[in-house]
Amino acid sequence: MSQEQKLLVVKDLNTTFQTPAGPLPAVGGVSFDLNKNETLGIVGESGSGKTVLSRTIMGLQPRTNVTVSGSVLLNGFEVVGASEEEKRKIWGLQVAMVFQDPMTSLNPVTRVGKQIDEILRVRMGMDRQSAKARAIELLELVGIPSPSQRYRVFPGELSGGMRQRVVIATALAGSPQLLMADEPTTGLDVTIQAQILNLLEEIKERLKMSVVLVTHDLGVVATRTSRIIVMYAGRIVEIGSTREVFAHHRMPYTRALLDGSPKVSNPSHTRLMAIPGRPPNLQDLPPGCSFAPRCSYATDRCHQERPELEPSGAPGHFFACWNPLPTTRGVPA
Amino acid sequence: MSSSPLVREMIEDATVRDTPPRKRRLGILFWACVGWLILNLLAAILANVLPMKNPFFQDYAVVNASPSLHHLFGTDDLGRDIFSRVVFGSRVSIEVGLGAMFIGFGFGGPLGMLAAYRRGKFDTFLTTFMYIFLAFPAIIATIAVLSFWTPRSLLKIIVVVGIASVPIIYRVIRTATMNIATKDYVIAAKVQGATDRRILVKELLPNVAPIGVSFLLIGVATVITLEGSLAFLGLSVNPPTPSWGNMINESRAILQTNPWLAIFPSVAMCLFLLCLNFIGDRLRSHFDVTEVKL
Amino acid sequence: MARYLVRRLIMLLGIVFVITVGAFYLIHLLPGDPAVVILGTGDSPLNRAKLFAQLGLNKPIYEQYFVWMGNIIHGNLGTSFISQTPVWGTIKSALPIDLELMVISQILAFAAAIPLAMRSAKKPDGWLDRILSAGSFTLLSIPSFIAIVLLVLFVAIDLGVPHTGVSSYVGLSTDWIGNLESLSLPSFVLAVGSFVVYYRVLRSDLIATLQEEYITMARSKGISQRRILWRHALRPSSVALLGTAGVNIGGLLAGGFIVQYLLDIPGLGYTLISAIGLSDYLVVQGIVLVVCVGVILINFFFDFVINIVDPRISRE
Repeated sequence: MSQEQKLLVVKDLNTTFQTPAGPLPAVGGVSFDLNKNETLGIVGESGSGKTVLSRTIMGLQPRTNVTVSGSVLLNGFEVVGASEEEKRKIWGLQVAMVFQDPMTSLNPVTRVGKQIDEILRVRMGMDRQSAKARAIELLELVGIPSPSQRYRVFPGELSGGMRQRVVIATALAGSPQLLMADEPTTGLDVTIQAQILNLLEEIKERLKMSVVLVTHDLGVVATRTSRIIVMYAGRIVEIGSTREVFAHHRMPYTRALLDGSPKVSNPSHTRLMAIPGRPPNLQDLPPGCSFAPRCSYATDRCHQERPELEPSGAPGHFFACWNPLPTTRGVPA
Repeated sequence: MSSSPLVREMIEDATVRDTPPRKRRLGILFWACVGWLILNLLAAILANVLPMKNPFFQDYAVVNASPSLHHLFGTDDLGRDIFSRVVFGSRVSIEVGLGAMFIGFGFGGPLGMLAAYRRGKFDTFLTTFMYIFLAFPAIIATIAVLSFWTPRSLLKIIVVVGIASVPIIYRVIRTATMNIATKDYVIAAKVQGATDRRILVKELLPNVAPIGVSFLLIGVATVITLEGSLAFLGLSVNPPTPSWGNMINESRAILQTNPWLAIFPSVAMCLFLLCLNFIGDRLRSHFDVTEVKL
Repeated sequence: MARYLVRRLIMLLGIVFVITVGAFYLIHLLPGDPAVVILGTGDSPLNRAKLFAQLGLNKPIYEQYFVWMGNIIHGNLGTSFISQTPVWGTIKSALPIDLELMVISQILAFAAAIPLAMRSAKKPDGWLDRILSAGSFTLLSIPSFIAIVLLVLFVAIDLGVPHTGVSSYVGLSTDWIGNLESLSLPSFVLAVGSFVVYYRVLRSDLIATLQEEYITMARSKGISQRRILWRHALRPSSVALLGTAGVNIGGLLAGGFIVQYLLDIPGLGYTLISAIGLSDYLVVQGIVLVVCVGVILINFFFDFVINIVDPRISRE
């Protein structure tokens, strides 16, 4: 596929924060692309850089004390280095974000409907009536009952799940082609989580959008993404189609993540294997592979040299490890 | 431009959240202010032994003189040396400030803490009582009482102003204590069986103290300003005792001929107030580690 | 929301009631004999006693209170012993002056505070922010009387600008230009005092609000900075500002007397001070009552506005 047909092309993206204690490299050397109508999952623990990555991709990183290098091409538009004004042109209309905590991502003193149709009125020049009508349509689309009445409520009057639906509706208002969903279900009840994720999938199909789903929960990405990126300490450590990564992962960290999440197929009372140690301090990274201190497969080389992504053989599947898990290709799963 | 204590309290409440970490370090300006205050305090205490002119001596030969080597700040319309009057005048301000705050915090502090900690009927009753007083413009009450309670003395002023400040100190301390008393580590201490007394002294007091100290400084500043206002109504100490407020008031009549009587006490007072406010502000942001967002 | 407001109203009315009792007792407990003031000290004790009885001052205090309250309910605040004019008339002529001062000074204060606070919140620690912070801090430390004296010294005397004298306050109906001129200095001083407070509070709240997630969300919708500041950040940040404004304006009503006194503006504060000096009980009571009711109305008004701005308050 040619470049133009890919929705998103990220090359060697680095995001560094300037803190009083020195530079903090939150994201390093990230490269991947995204096609239209595809769902990509970005998985990692807290502090892995996944949220910073999702914001940087959009260009939504803080304006001060942050340096970004590399390239992010969204529909041919270069996000890195673009001015705030230029970025504003794509925000909401070509790419939108669904934030993690619906309690804090909606303005508590403005009515819900107004927040949804703001982009229609202010940026797309719709008049009030049409904008309101469209907002009510969107409320219906995200599955909120009695949408015309709900138009007038304040966020505080809605439950968590409803609020998140409103956030999604707001993100969709501008009909973006790319939706960044940053932990959209963390903090919601488990039952609601499934509903929201299903909703996202439905919408994605209907509106032919691409979705980037950022989460720490492997269960979330397992069935809903076509490809996933595993991040650790700001870098990609494994990337490939979801199936491939789940079944034939090579990087021990990925294995550890999988082992750490509960599976229905496990016999009851199976102990979850926690990863020993703690996530590294990004300002004080050890030389070599960032995961080495906690890795049970670590070799000397792992502690000295940082591994680059290398292909595993399967199409689109890459991993960064000197001592990868033995390939299970050819072995029945 | 000073505002009522109620307004000051609201400013303090509101400005808690905005200070970035950098500013939390006590800078050189902070210590400069501390130094200036100490200097003023020393000068006030040692006023009698310092080599200054007699503040009461009226030298008709040098009435309304401009500053010179003989009279550093010039003289007023009765020939009295302004410099020494300013130094002696600081006594009034300092005494009123410290004295009134002593009374205010002496009563308002413990009551506020107790009420916040105990809650219940004691708290409701006391707080309603105090809040009613808060609604009444304290300045007017102070003026009314001082107008009629003659003959005037510094002690009376201190007592009246001190009592008038109790409600607001009560409120500030009570609010601060309530914020802390609901924090988990206090409840944890209670669950562990600590006595009330122990909790008050070991958990609550150290955490309320910083807010208390910073409000204390602001309170002193407010009270000193109040003394100034009272002087303008003739309700401060009787002449010929010098006080900053008195002097500024006297200067109004001779403003055209002698600007010095207006300028020097004003500058002295403003500097003093500025230092107080600055230190109070810095201390508050220094201790408020929990509220800062990175 | 209506229930909340009604609750507040009842509470505030209760406070008014208690304050009137308190004020009444306070004033009557104070030494100072109106009969002496009226008749002078030279007159015979017998005459004084007669006057006392005539004025109804020999009845027990609580009876006097009820008489007074009874009159008030009928809209009669009494007639001053001293000046022999109805109290309400005195207040009526003084009140509009206070109102005018308040309106002008507050408009100036808000008109300056809101845009400047926004600029500073946009660029915290920028040069504007630093200058304004240092400046407002300094101004906050300057007592109003010093400000007036110094202003009069430098502006009026050094620059020869005409300033107020004994009867230089000019009524609005007489000459509106002269009116504005005579009120310019006191309005300015009051405005600066209020500005300093409003600026600080608003700036601090705006900075805190701008860190909220919903601001980032608005940014992600491609909304301009300007709109974000005015439409998204200002409303939630206004709560503290409005609360402070309520307290401040209430305080101005009562405490603006220093400014009035110094510049001979015959507003309520000025009248009150004179009345206290003359032991003019009824006037003092009347003014205290009016001021308290005024403060309560102001607080009530601001409660109402805060509720419109941030409906969460009444819901809690």
